[in-house]
Amino acid sequence: MTPKPSSAAHLAQILADAFACNEKIGPFDLAALNRVLEYTPEDMTVTVEAGITLAALQVELSRHRQWLPVDPPHPAQLTISDLINTNVSGPRRFGYGTVRDFLIGIKVALADGRIINSGGKVVKNVAGYDLAKLFIGSHGSLAVVIQTTFKLRPLPEMESFVQVPCGSLDQTDKFIEAVASSEITPVVLDLHALSPSNAGMPTLVLGFAGTREEVKWQLMKAHELGVNEPSSLDYETTFWTNPAPAHRLSILPSKMIAAIRGLNDTAFIARAGNGVVYHRGAPSPRQSKLPLELMRRVKDTYDPKQVLPGLPL
Amino acid sequence: MPSNGPVTLTAKTVDALRAIVGHESVICAEQELLVYECDAYTLEKQLPNVVVLPQTTEQVAAVIRLCAQEKLPIIPRGAGTSLSGTVLAVTGGVMIAMTRMTKILEIDYRNRRALVEAGCVNAWVTNAVKASGLYYAPDPSSQSACTIGGNVATNSGGPHTLKYGVTTNHILGFEMVLPDASVVWIGTRPDGGEEVDGYDLRGAVIGCEGMFGVVTRVLLKLVRAPQMYKTMLGVFENVDDASHAVSDIIAAGMVPGAVEMMDQLITQAVEAAYHFGFPLDAGAVLIVELDGLAAGLERQAERVIEICRHNHAREVRLAKTEQERLDLWKCRKRAFGAIGRLSPNFLTQDGVVPRSKLPEMMRFIQSCSEKHRLRIPNVFHAGDGNIHPLILYDERDPDQVRRALAAGHDILEKCVELGGSVTGEHGIGVEKIDFMEKQFTKDDLDAMRALRHVFDPELRCNPHKMFPGSKRCADFSPRKQIAA
Repeated sequence: MTPKPSSAAHLAQILADAFACNEKIGPFDLAALNRVLEYTPEDMTVTVEAGITLAALQVELSRHRQWLPVDPPHPAQLTISDLINTNVSGPRRFGYGTVRDFLIGIKVALADGRIINSGGKVVKNVAGYDLAKLFIGSHGSLAVVIQTTFKLRPLPEMESFVQVPCGSLDQTDKFIEAVASSEITPVVLDLHALSPSNAGMPTLVLGFAGTREEVKWQLMKAHELGVNEPSSLDYETTFWTNPAPAHRLSILPSKMIAAIRGLNDTAFIARAGNGVVYHRGAPSPRQSKLPLELMRRVKDTYDPKQVLPGLPL
Repeated sequence: MPSNGPVTLTAKTVDALRAIVGHESVICAEQELLVYECDAYTLEKQLPNVVVLPQTTEQVAAVIRLCAQEKLPIIPRGAGTSLSGTVLAVTGGVMIAMTRMTKILEIDYRNRRALVEAGCVNAWVTNAVKASGLYYAPDPSSQSACTIGGNVATNSGGPHTLKYGVTTNHILGFEMVLPDASVVWIGTRPDGGEEVDGYDLRGAVIGCEGMFGVVTRVLLKLVRAPQMYKTMLGVFENVDDASHAVSDIIAAGMVPGAVEMMDQLITQAVEAAYHFGFPLDAGAVLIVELDGLAAGLERQAERVIEICRHNHAREVRLAKTEQERLDLWKCRKRAFGAIGRLSPNFLTQDGVVPRSKLPEMMRFIQSCSEKHRLRIPNVFHAGDGNIHPLILYDERDPDQVRRALAAGHDILEKCVELGGSVTGEHGIGVEKIDFMEKQFTKDDLDAMRALRHVFDPELRCNPHKMFPGSKRCADFSPRKQIAA
């Protein structure tokens, strides 16, 4: 049964008990820990409990025309704890970065039930080691996230998307090159081919955000480059609505088109500016040359009895 | 355990170091070592036993292997511009200065990356790529001297962090020699994608103050330079009005590239030194710089000017040319230098408070100034709440030194009380060790110590820093310390 703590203290107690008995534990249901604890719009920071969903948080922030600039799939189901544990991102990562760039403070319960803090509530802070980074993408293998503080951004005054269907992967490459060497600064630079039959002729999508003037000027520039059909991020929702798991490939952006060719006609979406491709073809090979020994030492240090889930590597 | 006393080094060890890096790359004469006795935090000083200047990763690894065999402390050093004693050789030891590994190894324009050696100076990177419209965003005030490796060790900031983030947001990966002499690549590899499986060790190492090993090569992110800047300077009656203007700018949905504030004392010093034509009775000068695409920037600048006027700005200047913009910045960047006219010495702090608490913090600093009978001008990053009070004193007067330290102490305690941090950029080093227990719990500190053990189980890399209970220079050479 999934443990469902009623408070941070309760969560710490459950962990301490499991640790004392060497029992494996987790994941947790953090639905009861779903409050916005402190939101100071003029500081552009927010502190929340980790069980709140990303969508619920964004609703709160939008009342003050602010947001946490990450846009992963399924925000209505995704808790902040999930966001930290899985380090998921969406199309706008090209413009804004990932959750790593916005997490400024964290409170976690360690495997033995001790509660620790790292970072704080201010946007610039170098006191002590930056432990918070360790928990991002750790799949809950080091600790259970209780509370997080994020720096925020104002919601853009305007956002607009345009697309162009590419006749071939060669043409796709030329479009990307043209965008990269132009003066426009899109927040989305994506490719998608939602059915295998389109894999050789993907659609390129550009997204612009900012003031009305900035967005309109960039739309004009995009038109000049030949990217001029009105678009939206519907492809993103469609791709992730398919329940089959997607595989992630991360390569140098300059090698992305070659990598897509290597997928052999598989449906995919790609963050072309970042070199990240999600597809449902053959699983990508594991990354090699990782500092596995250091990672193992990190795991053994924070979870010496291996009671928390393992790090999938 | 770290060694407990000043380190002694045998002639045999020095010869072995010479055999690794070459005779001319080992410094052990006392007068030549003086350069390395401290960083820009000069209240504590200690000579390392020896300084080595390696030129390759292999040499760094060989030096560290020797240190591991002989159980010697290692002190990594870049340009020594840090401000908290981060590179102080507290018990002596082998200092590894990276200033001969300065090459820009590769610039990949297509993928917007640069691979540099750790001793490469920060500003060189932007200089090398700016013709292509790219730049390296983090710009600490010491950027013409400080090294990229040092930036990684201290997670350096700068005036543009509100919008662009700090060093950790712009480093993809790096090569590092661990204290056991193994060479690892952490984070994104030069030929690899930006997503790296497993733990974000890159993030954990950045800001470790050189305690996890010696970074030798760094892969940097390059970003597109802004098309245009709009730089404004507002003269206000007082700090409160200027602070409200900053809050209103943020509330209007704008994120300026930089927001800097100078109070009355520093404005007077700058005026006396450089004659910018500031009224000497102005309570605060605010510099706001918007940057980005040219389209729409004009309208935003008008809005900023309107907000400043609404908050009772006496005068708002908008730089009309690039030269005028550089002139406006000059008054900010030279502010520290202008202090020389006011006082023989100053102690600077870099605490952080939530931006909304800035007016309260400024009032507290004023009361501190009165309490300790010392002048404290302020120049600070108003956008992110990072203060830089400059506590003026004369080091020839021991009582003034004591009062300056006490004032600094009070100010940092207040930062913690207001929900902030004792350091936004400079780091803990040896200077702020005593504050760690104020800002963190014992469990927090134990979790940090645990991470240190992962990288350096023998605690030999940059020892006696950051953690309460560390050895102090005063334990070994009290005459070298100006004040306790």
